[in-house]
Amino acid sequence: MISDLSRRVGLLLVLGCLVASWSVSADAAEESLLERDVLPILTKNCLGCHGGLKQEGGLDLRTMPAMLKGGESGPAIVKGSAQASELWKQIASDNMPSGDDREKLSAADKSRIKTWIDAGMPTVSQRQQDVDTLLSGPKRHEPKQVAAAIDEHIGGFLVTAGLKPVARSDDAAFLRRAFLDLSGRVPTAQEAAEFLDSKEPDRRGRLIDLLLGKPDFGRQFGRTWREWICPPELPSGGNAGTQPYSQARAMGDWMGKRLTEGASWAEITREILTVTGEIKKSPQVIFYSLVGEGGKTSADGTSRAVASLFMGVQLQCARCHDDPYRDWSQREHWGLAAFFGRSQGDFNKIEVGKGASKKPGEISIPGSAFKNQGQTVKAAFLGGATYEVKGADDLRPAFAKWLTTAENPFFSRSLVNRVWFSLFARGIVNPIDDFRELNPPSHPGLIKMLAGEFAAADFDIKHLFRCVCNSQVYQRTSRYAPGGDDRARQALTTAFGRMPMRLMTADMLFDSLKRAYGDEKLDLRTSSGDSTVGMAAPVGDAWLEFQRRFGINEEDATEFTHGVAQMLTMINHPRLQARSKALDAFQKKTPDAQVAATLEWLYLSTLSRRPSVLEASEAREFVEKSGDTNSAYDGVLWMLVNRSEFLLVR
Amino acid sequence: MASMIRRRANRGGPTLKRRDLLKLTAAGLVSGVSVPWFEALADSGIEGPRKKSCILLWMDGGPSQQHTFDPKPGGEFAARPTSVPGINIVEHLPQLGALMEDLVLVRSMTTEINGHYDAKYFLHTGYKRTSAFEHPSIGCIASSQVSHLGDQMPAFVTIDAGFDRNDGGRLYRNVPGYLGPAHAPLLVNDPDEGLENLSPTGSDVEARLRLLASSESRFAKQFATPAVAAKQAAFGRAVRLMQSRRSEAFDVDQEPARLQQAYGTHKFGRSCLLARRLVEAGVSFVEIVHRGWDDHAGAAGPISYRAPWMDAGMATLISDLKVRGMLDDTLVIWMGEFGRTPGDGNGHFSKAWSTMWAGGGLKTGQVIGKTSEKGKTPGSEIADRPVSSPDFIATLCLALGMDTHAEFMAPGNRPMPMVDKEAKPITEMLG
Repeated sequence: MISDLSRRVGLLLVLGCLVASWSVSADAAEESLLERDVLPILTKNCLGCHGGLKQEGGLDLRTMPAMLKGGESGPAIVKGSAQASELWKQIASDNMPSGDDREKLSAADKSRIKTWIDAGMPTVSQRQQDVDTLLSGPKRHEPKQVAAAIDEHIGGFLVTAGLKPVARSDDAAFLRRAFLDLSGRVPTAQEAAEFLDSKEPDRRGRLIDLLLGKPDFGRQFGRTWREWICPPELPSGGNAGTQPYSQARAMGDWMGKRLTEGASWAEITREILTVTGEIKKSPQVIFYSLVGEGGKTSADGTSRAVASLFMGVQLQCARCHDDPYRDWSQREHWGLAAFFGRSQGDFNKIEVGKGASKKPGEISIPGSAFKNQGQTVKAAFLGGATYEVKGADDLRPAFAKWLTTAENPFFSRSLVNRVWFSLFARGIVNPIDDFRELNPPSHPGLIKMLAGEFAAADFDIKHLFRCVCNSQVYQRTSRYAPGGDDRARQALTTAFGRMPMRLMTADMLFDSLKRAYGDEKLDLRTSSGDSTVGMAAPVGDAWLEFQRRFGINEEDATEFTHGVAQMLTMINHPRLQARSKALDAFQKKTPDAQVAATLEWLYLSTLSRRPSVLEASEAREFVEKSGDTNSAYDGVLWMLVNRSEFLLVR
Repeated sequence: MASMIRRRANRGGPTLKRRDLLKLTAAGLVSGVSVPWFEALADSGIEGPRKKSCILLWMDGGPSQQHTFDPKPGGEFAARPTSVPGINIVEHLPQLGALMEDLVLVRSMTTEINGHYDAKYFLHTGYKRTSAFEHPSIGCIASSQVSHLGDQMPAFVTIDAGFDRNDGGRLYRNVPGYLGPAHAPLLVNDPDEGLENLSPTGSDVEARLRLLASSESRFAKQFATPAVAAKQAAFGRAVRLMQSRRSEAFDVDQEPARLQQAYGTHKFGRSCLLARRLVEAGVSFVEIVHRGWDDHAGAAGPISYRAPWMDAGMATLISDLKVRGMLDDTLVIWMGEFGRTPGDGNGHFSKAWSTMWAGGGLKTGQVIGKTSEKGKTPGSEIADRPVSSPDFIATLCLALGMDTHAEFMAPGNRPMPMVDKEAKPITEMLG
């Protein structure tokens, strides 16, 4: 029994980003599946010469049809017989990988490939095709109905995998999580007390509605997108030093404002992709130069960013050559880029009628690419038809129109996956922008259902959040007792049977500290003024320096990335030891507040809960021993913001 | 390795005061590993060979080669013989000239890019900028490859040594990129201030730490996740650093007054002294940035003012490392993102310029490559042994003992070699 479980768990972990084959039987450990077992070996050892970059001997091993087709010496693989397969002969004899300096395949890797060919080339995707979508028809459903379908989906997978989901989180954990995810900050003491004291049976559902109705929700969504859009280091124009941080912030704020005004994801996307004119009027103008080069727009930078951000597809390798590992061709990348070839600009404006394309709808591959330099490529929808230019100079509206329909295969699922990722620190497809046949989702039916629901709801972002946040999956606890099988628990988290703990983003932490200290101008810089002077100034404003210091791992929010510098700031920065203006206000409002009430207020405004009996007595003892009650309160606040429980989203 | 231990012993083996240790133990912050940092330091010296460290002196904006290490006959600055017969540098750098047997001059840097920011990126990473992702800088790479004391000391520290002028283009920030945020540098904004937020503030720090420690240990039992363990470990390191004598590495005022004087009162000299203390305490890579070398009005005037503090700081650094037996294990490099136009140094010039190297077990006392002597403007061409940016980075990596064939995984599962595969390291200067 235990060995069965650990074998299944082992499978889940081996899968890494492909947690998909939960439906496999107990003897599956000896089974070999393409995406999970074989593709990693091919990627590491073979695709460099037999992929998109090079196809030696005419052989391309990136897809199943290409493997069966083979190269100059005939089919590479004969389904069901390794002995008859050229690929097997070559690797079994160590003839491949070729060259004396290349490491040959290990016996284990060889055996995986042989098993896979002999079994008829099974794939993870094949095993998942029978998952039902659980919701009827392409129409907008009630959020609670969708939430139940999410739970049924994930529950079904957990049962098949022999994993038991953990319990529901307590109200305080849910409150804090929902506030951070939907408002980007912890609740104030008053907001926390209101929720915790509520006797309303559906208080969670009501809180979700309340938070989705506030402008803070739009703001948090816009900030999340700002981080996704911005490269790790923002570009600057030429030699000059200025990076468009304020413009990037304004773009995030604009996205939030549009969402709050009721714009759908389709509308917001179209407004970004078709923008023209001055940044003063349209803050989204900065999008193009953020994803461009050297402070200017670039058609191919846009193509790559649009693919990743709005379509869930990685085209970055296909800029210079066919993707060595994925089935994306260089022509597909430039076909998409050609839509953006007749508009150009910089940090300040976007103009239509000029750009990389000499003729609308045509672009030539630049000399800096590795292959096919100078070739002309016509605008074409990804995976679809060439676009027939009909007079207009600006092709972006046509592209945006194609992209933002319910029928578009990329648009809806990409946003759904990103939202899921932002709430669970893990996408249904991972990496979140690498949708393709050989990188299947962990829950194919789930993403299909949610993408369908989101499209049917006219890309209503709040509806999508409402559906997911009302599910039990989102409301599970992140408790994690020591001892036991670490791998099993990790697998459970990966399978959405337990909520992972995440590190607060810099935005969340900054805003939460601002609230706790009642200080909108909170500034944790210490540098002397003179180093902020000049074009090459190394020190930015309070927000920027906070971002730089407390930024997290965008790809994995469960990783605690802060080190000595961040901890020293939290421990010793004078501002965090000084008075909280919020506490001042509380004391002014309730001058008779006893020690216990004040301590409770401090706990509520940082950890979003009341202190336990033990915590209350420890804090009371600390206050009593101190000669100065007020400075002891500052000490308690310092202790609270320095706790793991404060820095993490539990 | 041996020198490491000897060095510690010579300094009298600092120990944590018993009182402090008890306090920390009581606060639950020295759980399990109750070894003070410096004992751990000595231990790690015994466990494995100490890898090399690097101090990179970055003259931001592009220093003129003809006004420093590659003077030309008839140039604005006179050449002066050094301690190695046949090698001349400008007369404004007499102390460095006297140490020529410990230096290598690479006079044939040729690095294609004449724009500040792109050149800074190219010389810090060995790769040209792309908009697809950020390549990690050499300091971050060193942090990931040669940091030798685990988390006992930060692996990579940058020091801002101030500026003469406010231009020279956008400042390069060391980005770890796909190596992960753990390899981002720790920033020192002022050598005299040391590491910010290092000193304990407030009088009741022990009581507060105790209050925190009890709730933290309870939380770790309810939420035994890696994130909580990592938070508590980082927090414990920060507290130990701040309460122990290890933090003294960041305090240059602990050095004897005469040595401080020799390094000089300029922020650059103070930074050099801080860098030596940090390397001694186990930091793998220190980058000192002095800004304002973009001398468009001619290099002669500004460099004649800068030369005295630069000469004193660098020469004292090199001889101080030598006296302490650290020079063979510590690579020192002086450079900018490019050189300047031959003659007056008005313009940016990436075609033929110089870097200076010292220590690190290099074959010193020699010059690598040369620039043209003849023609209308001597020094406008490479005459021998061109060194590209990838060649430069490859040499640096090899000198620090890294495996330059290692591959990292960039976004999109794209394997990125540590160093461009076309790179030809300067093997003739590697020991």
